[in-house]
Amino acid sequence: MSDKVSSLIDITERDWSADDFWENFRQIERITLELSQRYHYSLGKQSRFFIELANRRFFATACAGCGQVYAPPRPLCPACLQPSEWRELTGEGSLETWSTLHFSPGTNADVAALQRPYVLAYVLLDGADTLFPHLLRAEGLCLRRGLRVRVAYNDGPVSHPIHLMCFVPA
Amino acid sequence: MPSAPVIAAVGCTKIASEHRDCNIRDLLADALLDLLADAGLDGLDAVEHGLASYESDHFNMQMTLGAILHDTIGMTPKPGVRIEGGGATGALALRTAWAHIQSGLCDSILVYGVEKNGRGLSSRTANQLFALSADVDWETAIGGTYTGFYAAMMRAHMAQYGTREEHFAHVAARNRRNAAFNPIAQKPMNISIEDVLRSRPVAEPYKLLDCSLLSDGAACILLASEAWAREHVPAFESRPPVFFTGTGCGTDTMRLGDRYPHITNFRAKQTAAQAAYAMAGIGDPLREIDVAELYDSYSGVEIQAVEDLGWVQRGEGGTAVAGGTFDLDGALPVNTSGGLLGRGAPVGATGILQAIEVAQQLWGLVDERRQVADAVRGLTDTHAGIASISVVNIFERRD
Repeated sequence: MSDKVSSLIDITERDWSADDFWENFRQIERITLELSQRYHYSLGKQSRFFIELANRRFFATACAGCGQVYAPPRPLCPACLQPSEWRELTGEGSLETWSTLHFSPGTNADVAALQRPYVLAYVLLDGADTLFPHLLRAEGLCLRRGLRVRVAYNDGPVSHPIHLMCFVPA
Repeated sequence: MPSAPVIAAVGCTKIASEHRDCNIRDLLADALLDLLADAGLDGLDAVEHGLASYESDHFNMQMTLGAILHDTIGMTPKPGVRIEGGGATGALALRTAWAHIQSGLCDSILVYGVEKNGRGLSSRTANQLFALSADVDWETAIGGTYTGFYAAMMRAHMAQYGTREEHFAHVAARNRRNAAFNPIAQKPMNISIEDVLRSRPVAEPYKLLDCSLLSDGAACILLASEAWAREHVPAFESRPPVFFTGTGCGTDTMRLGDRYPHITNFRAKQTAAQAAYAMAGIGDPLREIDVAELYDSYSGVEIQAVEDLGWVQRGEGGTAVAGGTFDLDGALPVNTSGGLLGRGAPVGATGILQAIEVAQQLWGLVDERRQVADAVRGLTDTHAGIASISVVNIFERRD
């Protein structure tokens, strides 16, 4: 954390009323503060999903109790509160909805490097019951609901392992 | 159950893109001074409990802010608690305050909400911080933003029901025009539907003017039992009492994809509304509600809300909105304050500001150009994320 004096704010030109409640407090200083954190962040029981991306395999979880298949995976089925089982999917599916993003939050180095605009897609993977959110690289293609897509893998390096994959048209 | 609590007094700051001469404590002080003037009080001696409402520790680089705010306005050594529920924070704070009164834990509680989301941080940093309120493992990591999640929902609504960009542009233009009649509003604009459609894309189908504001501001409500308010608040007898007659809360999965196939609308809002209507004894909300503040974080969200609140059939929100049903001269005027789009959205204060607008409407005290004639019942709709938490609160004037 570091700080330095940045600016004094000139508020003297304001049209003050004669009975200004804050007349003793018209000097305002603004400083710049910085705070950055590095997290040793555990991906927890979701980890196998990310580990298998490097092996070019796509895993969901299935609940032995209710049969619901979650992608992204859920170690604990929220409906049954039972531990799930890993289930490999083909990585093919269909586009359900999407948005084309013209501004990037630059969340991590992978996101900061994205060419804008980019497509945030929700894909119903074959064999899954939920929509999987990820980037869809489909430059120049007219998107439509039901468009067949597949997972495309890369070897990195990436700053976050979720970027070892994205979607492309099938 | 004891009779519903009353809104004993209200206060707020002007909402602005930046209050450069105020830190977050100063903002609260100004809102509190406004409340004291409204109440006709010169202090908080009689008030029994405090409740701090703010969303983000990151924006202020200050944790335990609730304790600092409580201290700032001289509420020590009285009990205090902090409530956080994302965008729903202010409404959840009022709901929690309702429970404090109804349980008999206290007869009076000051709910104070504040946020400095304006220009204290760059919009890029602000967006990064807001992105942390999505699922960081799956949504934030890929470069998702809330604008994008909402936009994907709206695209699904458009595909399913034929909702059009012009429909939600109507909301963007109307709410900013309403803001022109609200002296505390951050960004009144006299704009047309065409202006909205021509603004630059942010996350398609949402464009810049479909998006709500980042704001600095604070708001307070003194909630009390009717007997306490009569005894302690001089202004209480001067206006018709407004009771907090219903509160409902619903939740949904954090990630939109986990709601499949329910991705066009907000289930949490449907749950919250039904609970609030049941508590307030409302059977036909479109007829029985006279004025409402809806959570227009993005213009299309208002279209989804009028459906989820049960005012129109699913899929008919777009045509109802574009047809003027919810304009100032419509059957049920909404966002008379200007909403999040026009008045602004200092998160921890937003739900409280919505309730203040409704209370002042029921008291008949707002600018006549936005005053709804003889309004008896009002509703606030507030949610977090893409309605992972939704709160509906209902207020009623009883002369």
